[in-house]
Amino acid sequence: MNATTTFHLDGEEIPFTPGQTIIQAAKAAGAYIPHLCWHPDFQANGSCKLCTVKVNGRFGSSCTMEAQAGMVVENRTAELDDKRRTLLQMFFVEGNHFCPSCEKSGDCALQATAYELKMMSPHFDMFYPDRAVDASHPDILLDFNRCIMCSLCVSASRDVDGKNVFYMGGRGILGRRVHINSESGMLGDTDFAATDRAASICPVGVILKKRKGFAVPIGERTYDLAPISAPDKETTP
Amino acid sequence: MTVRQVLADCGATDTLAVQISGPSGICLAEAEFDRKIAFEDLPTAGAFMIFDETRDMFEVARNFAHFFAHESCGFCTPCRVGTTLVRNIMDKIAKNHGSPYDINELFKLHRLMQGASHCGLGNSACNPMFDTLNKFRPAYERRLMSLNYEPAFDLDAALSQARQMTGRDDAAAHFDEHPENEAEA
Repeated sequence: MNATTTFHLDGEEIPFTPGQTIIQAAKAAGAYIPHLCWHPDFQANGSCKLCTVKVNGRFGSSCTMEAQAGMVVENRTAELDDKRRTLLQMFFVEGNHFCPSCEKSGDCALQATAYELKMMSPHFDMFYPDRAVDASHPDILLDFNRCIMCSLCVSASRDVDGKNVFYMGGRGILGRRVHINSESGMLGDTDFAATDRAASICPVGVILKKRKGFAVPIGERTYDLAPISAPDKETTP
Repeated sequence: MTVRQVLADCGATDTLAVQISGPSGICLAEAEFDRKIAFEDLPTAGAFMIFDETRDMFEVARNFAHFFAHESCGFCTPCRVGTTLVRNIMDKIAKNHGSPYDINELFKLHRLMQGASHCGLGNSACNPMFDTLNKFRPAYERRLMSLNYEPAFDLDAALSQARQMTGRDDAAAHFDEHPENEAEA
């Protein structure tokens, strides 16, 4: 393989085409870099920071950093996985994530990534934020308690569905959240449909289809069958 | 121009610490006052804060921690959650519920936020804690409940609801956390 079009990921030679990001090239080569807010079909957001790698000794987000010939990238090292575990714990304490009672359990990227990185406890004191649910839509339930601010629903609704149903707004730990683009702020007052791409993009259990929660029994779900690190395992359809 | 010259020119006396370039800049103790204000040594955005001997550098750092938790935009995880966790730990230490465990947590969060945050705010939000812990550590340690491990969960505080419901407040309704301290007293 031509040395000018490859880089090193944990010692493995990864080919890339100019303009590809590190995570895009790694995924194409079947290598897993932990991530939550990145999805191959959408432009990188760069907010979850789980895909942080060390490039030539410096930290960087592999979803936004373009691959360069010969760069040396550290990925699944003890140091980086330790940081990722702490980031996962931050997600678990800032929201209300109760896996045993969540109908997304087994299909949830946050839960599956926590298993992959062997997160054993939330570690920090829980914040227990007060977040309202939105059940105004006939076919969709929004449970913001589980939101991880990945903004994939914003991208999917804007770029694929052409509806702009969601947007990110507000500041800081209490203010920042997904908003609904209707005068009432409720999903029922938008033209959102259960067939929209945005209805199936949520990596966690915020956007749920009503009356479908347990169509696939627990034990036979996406990450019950194979870990999230398995090749061709993507967070959402 | 050294820090000491600036202090002399503005008539500062009994100076305990100087914070250069705002909360995310560098905090200097007396031993470093001969360093120079220069791009190569102490780069400054124009801010020069002077704290005299009457000031408590822990409270200064705690104020900065609240500032960063308030200023974080919330875009990236390490800064959005990290600045709040740091603020909570500083408040816990201020209430005399802290332990060396909490100080280690501050260093751990500093290491994560410095490398992983999206912008300079998160990258530098732990600087005031890092500098004051290294240069004014007694300001933290005299507030700690114990110099040994202390659990994050306060068992006695958790019993307060049960005490209220039963109308009891006698010794047997309290969890005795420090029998050795009471023996000394």
